[in-house]
Amino acid sequence: MRSRASRWSPAIVVLHWINAALILALLALGWVMTHSPFGAGTTFDLYQQHKSLGFAALALTALRLAARLASAAPARVSGWEGLVARAVQAAFYVLTLAAIAAGWLVVSASPLPVPTKFFGLIVIPNIAPPDATLFALGVLAHWIAAYAIAALVALHVAGALKHHWIDRDDTLKRMLPRR
Amino acid sequence: MTRGRGSSHLTLAAAALGSAAALAAPAFAEAGSQWRIEPARTTIAFAIDAVGYPRTEGRFDAFDGKIAIDFDRPEKSSVAFHVCSASIDVGSATFSDYLRSSAFLDAGKHPSIDFVSTSVEKLSDHAVRVSGDLTLLGVTKPLALDVDVERPTGLKGPLEFSARTRIDRLEFGMNSGFPLVSRDVDLTIKSAAAEL
Repeated sequence: MRSRASRWSPAIVVLHWINAALILALLALGWVMTHSPFGAGTTFDLYQQHKSLGFAALALTALRLAARLASAAPARVSGWEGLVARAVQAAFYVLTLAAIAAGWLVVSASPLPVPTKFFGLIVIPNIAPPDATLFALGVLAHWIAAYAIAALVALHVAGALKHHWIDRDDTLKRMLPRR
Repeated sequence: MTRGRGSSHLTLAAAALGSAAALAAPAFAEAGSQWRIEPARTTIAFAIDAVGYPRTEGRFDAFDGKIAIDFDRPEKSSVAFHVCSASIDVGSATFSDYLRSSAFLDAGKHPSIDFVSTSVEKLSDHAVRVSGDLTLLGVTKPLALDVDVERPTGLKGPLEFSARTRIDRLEFGMNSGFPLVSRDVDLTIKSAAAEL
């Protein structure tokens, strides 16, 4: 029914929802592993999964940025809400990359060097030597970025649902798979 | 792979056994009776704390221990224990693998954790102090263990022994993660030995 220009491209839609699932998984995993009710062995595994998923998010974010820049975006919602929406979208890219960079710094500078094996396959190189100060800064930056992303997710979802249920427009539908 | 800690416990326990036997069974005149650890009834466990992380508890599953007991002269008793450092198990294959790496047990280079007693002293009818040398990561340090010894089923039955101790991993050059990861490693050894 809608013209193609009114929707996000299929590649953008698919990448958006994979990335959404990944970000929610990383936030949940990050919280659970640092408040772990489990034993040391399971907690260790959760950390390794979090690291692998974090690097998956890096690859996905790069792919998404490329897809976003390569395809035409549908017209943004008019007025200040549209500006806020675009700002939130841009902030997602910036904060996601910042969280990943800070996480990479944390695993690199940690006084306890645990090799990062991407899903047990490839060893990801470190970007810094072990350093307690760098480690502490990385942990703080990672924590701030994570909570900022969680707040953005809430804002982003609230905006989408507001358009869908209150304004009853196509803002959410254009990011959903075509029927 | 890192069952070194466990081995040290075992050694200690064995030593304790010997001393306990000496204490408990003065009627046994034969000097230097030989005892073997029963693996199924032996646990070599360790625990270590870290900041912002659950207490890591694990055990070593592969070990070998020999005890010689002289009931008449407890001080002549001896214990030798060897723990396979690669047999470490902390409930996660990846975590166990990591502890086998050069960061901690370096199991490839140091496959065995050894405890060899140098003296055994009777403390009471149910306790002995086993002093000896613990070798971990190729570094040998003295370690003394107070071992409780029981012989629940009578004079012919197996000896049961248990000991707890704490070692400083930094003394053995195991520095990874300190001070995030504690220097203190708690060891708990429970074992049983049957006379050969």
